[in-house]
Amino acid sequence: MRRARFMTVGGVHAGLTALILVLAVSTARAEEGPRRVIAAGGSAAEIVFALEQGDRLIARDTTSSFPEAVLALPDIGYVRRLSPENLIAMEPDLILAEHDAGPPETIELLTRAEVPLVTLPEAQTPADVLAKIRVTAESLGVRQAGEDLAARTQADLDRAAAAAAALPSHPRVMFVLSMQGGRIMAAGTDTSAAAMIALAGGVNAVDGISGYKLLTDEAIIAAAPDVILAMDRGGDLALEVADLVAHPALALTPAGEAAQVVRMDGLYLLGFGPRTGEAALELNTALQAVIAAGRG
Amino acid sequence: MLSAKDIRVSLGKTLVLHGITAEAQPGEVTVIVGPNGSGKTTLLRALTGDVPFAGQVHLNGQDCARLRPWELAALRGVLPQASVLAFPFTVAEVVRLGLTAAPHAGRPDLVPRALAAVDMAGLSTRLYQELSGGQQARVQLARVLVQVWEPVVDGVPRWLFLDEPVASLDIAHQLGVVRQMRDFARRGGGVVAVLHDLNLTAMAADRVWLMDQGRLTGQGGVAGVLTDAALERAYGCPLRVGRLPPQGGWFSLPQAAGAA
Amino acid sequence: MVALDAGYPLGDRDAQARVAMIALSVALVLTAGLSLSHGASGVSLGSVIQSLATGEQMAARDRLILWEIRLPRMLTGVLVGASLAVAGAVMQGLFRNPLADPGLVGVGAGAGLGAVVAIVLGGLAPVWVTQAVGYHLVPVAAFLGGWVSTLLLYRVATRSGRTSVATMLLAGIALGALAGAATGVLVYIADDRQLRDLTFWGLGSLGGASWPKLLAAGPVMALALVAAPFLARGLNGLALGEAAAHHIGLPVQRVKAVAILTVAAATGAAVAVSGGIGFIGIVVPHLLRLATGPDHRFLLINAGLAGAVLLLLADLITRSIIAPAELPIGIVTATLGAPVFLWILLRRRGMVDL
Repeated sequence: MRRARFMTVGGVHAGLTALILVLAVSTARAEEGPRRVIAAGGSAAEIVFALEQGDRLIARDTTSSFPEAVLALPDIGYVRRLSPENLIAMEPDLILAEHDAGPPETIELLTRAEVPLVTLPEAQTPADVLAKIRVTAESLGVRQAGEDLAARTQADLDRAAAAAAALPSHPRVMFVLSMQGGRIMAAGTDTSAAAMIALAGGVNAVDGISGYKLLTDEAIIAAAPDVILAMDRGGDLALEVADLVAHPALALTPAGEAAQVVRMDGLYLLGFGPRTGEAALELNTALQAVIAAGRG
Repeated sequence: MLSAKDIRVSLGKTLVLHGITAEAQPGEVTVIVGPNGSGKTTLLRALTGDVPFAGQVHLNGQDCARLRPWELAALRGVLPQASVLAFPFTVAEVVRLGLTAAPHAGRPDLVPRALAAVDMAGLSTRLYQELSGGQQARVQLARVLVQVWEPVVDGVPRWLFLDEPVASLDIAHQLGVVRQMRDFARRGGGVVAVLHDLNLTAMAADRVWLMDQGRLTGQGGVAGVLTDAALERAYGCPLRVGRLPPQGGWFSLPQAAGAA
Repeated sequence: MVALDAGYPLGDRDAQARVAMIALSVALVLTAGLSLSHGASGVSLGSVIQSLATGEQMAARDRLILWEIRLPRMLTGVLVGASLAVAGAVMQGLFRNPLADPGLVGVGAGAGLGAVVAIVLGGLAPVWVTQAVGYHLVPVAAFLGGWVSTLLLYRVATRSGRTSVATMLLAGIALGALAGAATGVLVYIADDRQLRDLTFWGLGSLGGASWPKLLAAGPVMALALVAAPFLARGLNGLALGEAAAHHIGLPVQRVKAVAILTVAAATGAAVAVSGGIGFIGIVVPHLLRLATGPDHRFLLINAGLAGAVLLLLADLITRSIIAPAELPIGIVTATLGAPVFLWILLRRRGMVDL
């Protein structure tokens, strides 16, 4: 975590430098803005599309999966293992990079090759999301669209906050990242899942540990979640509601007994992009249902 | 001259050599004999520095403990009882390893000559691992021979230390090895060998060291050391020297090879 | 490779090995050229030569791609490939076992642990460390980890001036298990992103090649590569066993010490710049032994050449197969190498038993 913060400082610095460069370039090009944009990071692509500038994207990284149209773009690989030559060869006039894009050698070479690169701020709070949207919009030369999107996102976040405050009680939520071999990996403090649970008005049931950790059966029972939150995805890592509530330890918790499981798309839920407020509201609605069921 | 002074070797807490003092001369073949476990091989391995020991070994007047590996290698060749070889080397490549630190390292022509000396000419490009045990033993002997090819260099005798050089050989090749040992000594070199076979010992040796329970119980000429009494004491079995089997029957002594 | 089918009995393998050396040198020059001229962007070696010949300035971008991306990457590939193959050959000679691998004596485990520590706990490092090594923290830690574990093993296995190869092997396995456990603890406390970093590090890549990295690790690898051929006589002698090697006049203890240091330097530096790249250290020497014999005078040099060629070819594949993304190179070496290795084992069962 601390390392991440250290890198963020560097990243922001590089980002600002690049930003100044981009601004200089974009002024020279009048109102046009960059036309060949590479999104390196899931929320970057999402924001570009939310700004209705999706047609400017020429490539995306592996973590970009929303909206559907992104998947049709060429894949530049894992965001922390980018290949400098391949990126340069695509002749982008802007690379929108998540704060942890790398490796650092690649970022350095891109800067030296004078490929305009904007590093987006790390987003863990609603305020960060707005900053991310504004930086993205600015670098695309669509400041107004950015302000509009930021305002909409802010409105969503406000509504989510209001809804969170309006909850009659605050259910304990356990975010289950994976369940392999019967072992539950759940989100502790300092995770985007915990942040999202808080936004939605819930209480993170796992508060003693930080990061995503495997939990013992006893820790699961002690956490006593009212609702289980999981990602909605396919493949081997798919978490089926039936499997979750059948887990011997989870079955003993209030969430297991009442079969209260909420599943949401991973990037939507944890990406901290423009849909954050929307996702928080959706989770909030699910929590309301849980509370209602509890009363009934 | 090889002189060993008060050689003691212990394995763990057991003393297996109880202070051996002995000498061997260049121009002679010295054979170490004795029953199993009497310490023959341990003595030879102490003489060549392969086991930690107390005492002193001098070769041509020089303390072996003070010589560098390549200085020793120029002075003596050592054939261990069992040889291992990693990787698929050919016969010629194995023999060539004997030239590694030899003063005549630049004479690859010696390789075929050494192979011919052990009756392995023509097999030089075969893979060592594909040979029979006896053939492998002969290749190892050729490797040692090539290392000390000239028995005397600048008036200084060189030495062969051979541990059971005939162990896995047929009778013809056993006699061939005896011939090589005799020849090396005749030309001025020194040979120290461990042998099991008393008849071959009698053929090969100028001097015999008889070992018994970690002690040297006799050294000298064959007839003087290998007496009925000494053999019976060492081997615990009533051996008779020079007697034909009382019941007659079949026997073939190596000494009689080539006799009319 | 032609020599693989050499008739039986084997002819003059020295001559075959010399031919192989020339062929591999030519192949290295060709693959190096290919590595420099092949890439996603249109820069070709031809255009470079043309610009050099005509004195015409290359576009700044092309110059950057060639000099700052492809050249350090190619040189890193050559050094890493050669180091891994030579380290494997030396290790196998030292242990008198064709299956020995630097991974066995804890160099790999130690380097891996170093990398994991840096990835997971790097953020806790004092500021002066971070300032001194910058983002090279992971490679530096990997190198230190490899070295520390090797020196530790060497100390454990050396008593009164004699290094027991068997003890070193066993201690290496124990240390590997210990490093594995420590890695497990770190993996447990690692976050999601660090876990992905660990996975990618373990699969290896030349993607992060740069001049600063090359200048730091290159000399170490180069030194090991230059030192290795001097071990040839010693390793040949060791094939007879340590006692016999001593009796043919070799300073056995010195050979062992230099061999271990060479392996530690070559593997440590190679793993540090490229992460874990398996298979080259074990298969390249093996193929060469089948082709031209086990004589280390040729084996060590040919292994270096062949390792470099192989890694450059693998890197060409990693760069192009899923462009614009890059495949980790360890995946390519393993997918190409393992089946070839198995095929040879099946075909030459008799010789492999040796």
